[in-house]
Parts: sequence; structure tokens; C-alpha cells
Amino acid sequence: MEPAVEMLDITKYFESTRVRANDNVDFSVGKGEVHALVGENGAGKTTLMNILYGLLRPDSGTIRIDGQQVEINHPDDAIRLGIGMVHQHFKLVPSFTVAENILLGTEPTNALGILRKSDEIEMVRDLSNKFGLPIDPTAKVGQLPVGMQQRVEILKSLERQAQILILDEPTAVLTPQESQELFHVVRQLAASGRSVIFITHKLLEVINVADRVSVMRKGNMIGTRKIQDTNIREMANMMVGREVLLRPNKKPMTPGKPVLEIENLVVAGPGGIPAVMDVSFDVREGEIVGIAGVTGNGQTELVEAITGMRHAELGKICLMSKDITRRPVSERRRIGLAHIPEDRIAVGLNLETSLDENLVVTRYRQPLFSWLGLLRRGAMRDLSKSVIERFSIRAAKPGGSIAMLSGGNMQKVVLGRELGGEPNLIIANQPTRGLDVGSIEFVHQTLLEARERGAAILLISVELDEILALSDRIVVLFSSRINGRMDASDATEEQLGILMAGGTLEEIPA
Amino acid sequence: MDLETRQRIEYNIIIPILAVASGLLLASIFIVMSGHNPLEAYVKMFQAAFSCESFKRCALFTTLQLATPLILTGLAAVVAFRSGMFSLGQEGQLYLGGMTAAWLGYVIHLPPVIHPAVAILAAMLVGGIYGWLPSVLKVRVGVNEIISTIVLNNIAILFVTYLINFPLRADASTTAHSPVIDDTARLMSFAPGSDWGMGFILALIAVGLVYLYLWRSIPGYEQRMAGQSRRFALFGGIPSSTAAIRGMFISGSLAGLAGAIEALGVHGRMLQGFSSGLGFDGLTAAILGQVHPLGAFVVAILFAGLRNGAQLGLQFSMRIPRELGGGIIALMILFVAAPQLYQPLINRIDKWISGLSQSQQAKERV
Repeated sequence: MEPAVEMLDITKYFESTRVRANDNVDFSVGKGEVHALVGENGAGKTTLMNILYGLLRPDSGTIRIDGQQVEINHPDDAIRLGIGMVHQHFKLVPSFTVAENILLGTEPTNALGILRKSDEIEMVRDLSNKFGLPIDPTAKVGQLPVGMQQRVEILKSLERQAQILILDEPTAVLTPQESQELFHVVRQLAASGRSVIFITHKLLEVINVADRVSVMRKGNMIGTRKIQDTNIREMANMMVGREVLLRPNKKPMTPGKPVLEIENLVVAGPGGIPAVMDVSFDVREGEIVGIAGVTGNGQTELVEAITGMRHAELGKICLMSKDITRRPVSERRRIGLAHIPEDRIAVGLNLETSLDENLVVTRYRQPLFSWLGLLRRGAMRDLSKSVIERFSIRAAKPGGSIAMLSGGNMQKVVLGRELGGEPNLIIANQPTRGLDVGSIEFVHQTLLEARERGAAILLISVELDEILALSDRIVVLFSSRINGRMDASDATEEQLGILMAGGTLEEIPA
Repeated sequence: MDLETRQRIEYNIIIPILAVASGLLLASIFIVMSGHNPLEAYVKMFQAAFSCESFKRCALFTTLQLATPLILTGLAAVVAFRSGMFSLGQEGQLYLGGMTAAWLGYVIHLPPVIHPAVAILAAMLVGGIYGWLPSVLKVRVGVNEIISTIVLNNIAILFVTYLINFPLRADASTTAHSPVIDDTARLMSFAPGSDWGMGFILALIAVGLVYLYLWRSIPGYEQRMAGQSRRFALFGGIPSSTAAIRGMFISGSLAGLAGAIEALGVHGRMLQGFSSGLGFDGLTAAILGQVHPLGAFVVAILFAGLRNGAQLGLQFSMRIPRELGGGIIALMILFVAAPQLYQPLINRIDKWISGLSQSQQAKERV
């Protein structure tokens, strides 16, 4: 296979954090190949790709495109060399149409420099037909589903003649069905002779879509394998550097009495439009109830209503048989509520203050931490020490700042605080979002330990494998309402995908 | 020293120092333009501000007396900012506090010590209520506190001006003022011929108490968390509205205390033009002092020294207009608002220090 991209001996050292993000990395991608690039957070994947796309300059090493040595100092150079990148967070203008976004900066104009709208639409229609990526050129991007927005990004790169396409964690925001469509598109692009670099930490996807896989760990390239010569276990071990438990070990449990009971709950979302409509369910001791659903179907508002961060319009929420519908957050926490929030940085942590003050926020009123209205700094420090030890947050120090910690370690700080006090109810909202294999394993183990201790757990996740692996029962949310409930043992990813998209199970032919 | 502590120190100490130095450097252009040697002028200025010839003729006492209200309005700003309220209302709170203390200083008659104590507590209460008002407006109805505090400043200043021009006017002198306070209400001064006295001690106590409040007490913790991240506070169950309201009451009462000390310790009455921007100078001292009580304290003394030194050292002996003192303060604020300017320099200092500690570690290993 003729190489399209060759990166040789790439080294990149970051002065500010004193991290060698890439250490003599070799990486090559063939023409017409789908090449998966996997590794834990901080392994150096994104650094390597940012170097290829001209966003960063390597300290040393050479890059060859189609056998020619090149200098890539700026994304403009990369685009000129036929390299396109679809970032994890789309760089689109929501109020513009699909055509306007795709042709942004390369708009067709007449002699006077005036835009030719009809030509724009025609050009985009041609482009989408040529690559078999159907899309409505006149639709406003902000109103499109995420999968379609991603398609706009891909078309934008293709319009700029990209021969090498970098996709940075493209499936992180997609439903299973949308992911399947994306895989199909990726295979088609490869068949047309283009090269696709697919960054991910989901190993099942690698097997589904890639020809070869390269694994990075701590700035080093660990190895490259053909897909037919490897398996998920080997890739996971290469990523983490040790044996990993892929499927969490779930012990059978008999659920006890109900801990959380929700009756006919209605919660208003942004603009007063109901985001949760008539939702009822309960979670019992020693049980994990999974809430499956595509982001934005009411999960956020449901969680905020249960945790007291948003008030419920109608309905009733009971915690440990106490009606907490109108009670403040502090009281819910006192009854034993723990909350692992979706956005752990903006909501779950205060990066401007120390580890101690972050950990004590849910219980600073307890006599252990306060004395005559003063904080007991010593007790807070001891708390930090015990959380650091129990959750092995090696980079953190008692009394130290948390702003410099990695995403995985920040998650551990939140987990340490929320699970440390042996809560009765744990609301875990996307607890493994953005985490790598090793950290995911840890989070899952911790949640399962809490379950075995008899805690009730409500797990909200867009990752179906996570829902399926951990839950005892599953509730599917679609468009603010419950669109199906099932026992986890009977559920399949396909069935859940249909329910998440608003379908019913009767529709599938048996 | 580890990386993190070092960077914190670099940011919180080096940047204000560099800003002060840059302000002095840039202002020296104006001194050169007026035909003087800037180095000589600065030496004269600092000597004039911080020297002490004798107990009776001591410029340092004057500087510390001038610094007293700035320390307190600075603390007021620190407490407000640390609750997430960008309050600019210190000036108005200071006026109302000063008026309250001056009024109680002559309408009621009490024994010494008790008289000023009552007047001061009342002034703090009035200032506190005037600080509480914008916070309630913000929390309940969403009124932006920057706008409301500016408006409330004008209301307070005009109201006090009305009081001392009409109902409480003492005599028909050219500047309107209220009657002189009782001798029992006067705050003691430390040196004859100087107004530097008990007020400064009260300000020192306030520095300590504000520090304890913000970093050691539960309400202080609550208001700092609410100020830094509303959503985190909500998430953790901190009543952030209560915390902000409480913080603004404390802030207002500190500014009210500043007014009371000016009225009872310096002027002995309320008068027109009572404050020449003491509230705003305190506010800027808080910002240059990295929104920390100790920082505000140090910077308040520096500012007072600049003003005093500009008057005594520059205007009297070198005939450079004393307004240069205010000009230097303004330049310093401009520079402290631009920390990016110093990043290359800070990086070099950082490297140099880490080089030192590395070579030290290497030595230890050997």
C-alpha cells in the first residue's frame, strides 16, 4: 500500500506542563486506508494530529505527504496539501445554511464580488451527490441533528479537495444509528482512494471501520496492527499497558426498598418549554437504573430536578420516602443524595479553589468540618488525603490546586467527593464521558461497589454499552417522555437505538 | 518550592510589583517634560511620604492617616468582589456612613469611648444597608450591580450634600458643613498635630477580621464559592443568593466604617466634598492588591504615600503639580489590568527560579 502520510520521528515537548506529548513517534497512513488512532486521554493522539494539521509545530521530525517532504506551519498549508480535519467540536456557523457553511471563504462570486446564492446551492448539491452524502443545502445548520452537522463538516473538507481526512472522536456525539451511517460514509471515502484517520477510544468501532490501528500511550507509539491480526483485548492492553477488565464484573443483587420515587414529573427547560413530561419511575436499593437517550431529550432537566438545581413544575420526587420536590439542594444532600454531574468542570468543580475546598462543598456544615462557624482546615486536609489515597489521584495534593489536573483525575475528585460519604442515592450523569479505558474501568467498578453496598444508582449515559453493562433496568427517554422500559438482561443495543430514535419495538419484524 | 505555589506567588506578587514599576517608569516621562530628573523627583516623593523627622513632624503619620479610609474601602471592595458582586458603591456607602457618624456625633451626648462606638456602629449599619440594597435588587430582580451601585453613589452623595446645605447646615460659611461633633465622639489621635489615630487601629483589625472571615469562616467559604462559580455553589447546596447579600452587607458596613473614621477622626464633622474619590481609590487598591485583604492594605498605604508624597515632595519642593500622584496611580491600574504584558518576563523569571531549584536538587543528590 502506497503511503499518503508519513510522520517520522515526531517529537513535541510542552514547556508549560513539562510533558513530552510525542516522543519519536512514527505514524503512516496508506492511500485508500481507514487508519484508527487510539490511546488514552493524554496519550498524544490529538497532539500528533494537530501537528499534521499545522496547529502545532513539532520540535523535531519529518512529515511526508505522498512521498514529498513538507513543512506544515499553518492549517492553510495543510488544506493546500489536501488534509482536512473534522474537530470534536464542530466549527460551523449555526445561523448559516448548509451551503453557506460548506462554501465559507470560497464562495462563488460574480465580477462585482457579489455572492451567487443559486450557484452555491447547486455546487453543494453536486458535491453531496458526488460523494453519496445526501443533505439539504438550504437547511440552517443550527437546526440539523448532530450527525448531519458532522456531515456538513466532512463535506466542507471534501469541497476543499481533502485527500486525507482526520476525524477527531467523530462518534462521541452520535446515536448508534448515526454512527453506523458514518462508518458507511468513511468506508466509501476510503473506497474512492482517500485516506481517513479515525481518532477514537471506542475499540469496537475500530474493529468495525478501520483497516489498521495504531495505539499510542504516554506520548509513545506502542504499535500498529492490521485489524484482522488483532482484537479488542490486545488493543486495550496496548493502550493501558496492563490487563484490562473490559466487561465489569456485575454480581447478582436483589433490589431492596425504593430509594428514589418519581411520580408524573414535569420540568421546564430553556424558554419554559417542558423538557420532562409526565415521567415516573423508581430506583431501589442495590439497583442501577439506566436512562438511555440521545443528548437533549430531557436528561439534563430530569437530573437537575432530582438534584434540586432546577425546580419541578408538577409531580413529586421522593428520596428515602421523604418528599423532596420543593426542598433545597443542601437538604437533599443531607438525606444522602450524591450527584456526578454531566459537566464536571463547570458544575462539579470550582477550578479557582483548592482540592480541600472542592471536596468539602457537600458537607461543610457537618460538625466534623465546622466549629463555631469556622472551617476546620485540618479535617478538610485529612479528607483530601483519604480521597487521594482511596481514589489514587496521584497528581493531586491536599491543599493544592485542581486546575492543572487531567480530565480523568478531575473526574476522580468528583467521584471521591460524591461516593466518599456512602450515599443512599447516586445520580451519575455521563460519568465516563471523555475518559479513557483505564479510567472507565475504575468508574464502573466504583459504581458497582456502591451498588453492592446497597446504594440506589441512576445512571444517565449516551453510551449504550455502558447502559447495557451496568444497568439492572433501563428507561429510554425520547422527546421529554419515557419511550420504553426494559430489563437490561433482555435489552439489545439495536432495540434501545430504535426506542432512542422515537420508534416502537412492534415495528421491527420478528 | 513546587511549581504550583511558585506560579501563584509569581502571579500575585510579581505582577503588582511590575505594574507599580511600569507606572512609575511611564510617569517619569511627564517629569522629564516638566524639566526635572525623574529619579530625583521619585526619591523626594518617597522621602516626603514615608519619612519621619520627629514625632511632631512626621510625614509617615499623614500617609498612614490618608491610607486608613483607603484600606477600609479597599476591604469593602475585596469582600464584595469575593462574593461575585462587582460593586462600585463604596463611595456612596462612605458618604452615608460619614453622615450618620457626624450627625450622631453632635445630636446625642454620651461618655467618651461609648459615643464614638455608637456612632461607628450606626454608620456601619447604614453603610451595610446601603450595600445590601443593590444585592437584593440583583438577586431578586436581576438589576446589574455595576449600574445600581453607580446610581446609588450619586443618590447618596447628593442626599448628604442636601442635608449639610439645608437641614443640618451649621453656619453660613462658604463650604457647607454640619456642626462640629462633641469632644466625647472624637477618635483619639496618636500624635499631636496629626489625625493618625484609633481609626488606623480599627482598619488593621478589619484587615485581620476580613481575612479570617473570607478564608476561615463558613459564611466566607460560602460567599467565595458563590462568587467564583455560581453553578458549583448551586450544585453543592450553597445558598449563593444569601451569601452574596451577606457579603454586600459586610462590604457596605466596611465602607460605612471608613466614612465614620473620616468624620470622627479627621474632619470632626460632615462637609461638602467630604471624599475626593476615597471609594474609587479603595476599589483600585483592591484590584491592584489582587483582591486580597493584605494586598489591599499594602496598596492602600502605597497610594496614600503617592498622594501625600506628590503633594509634599513634588508640588511644594519641586513645583511639579501634585496631580501627578493620581496620574501614577491611574497608570499602575492600567498596567495591572494587562498581566499579559509581563508574561515573557514572568516566564523568564520562572525558568530562572526553576533552574535554581533544579541545580539545588542536583547538588543535594551529589
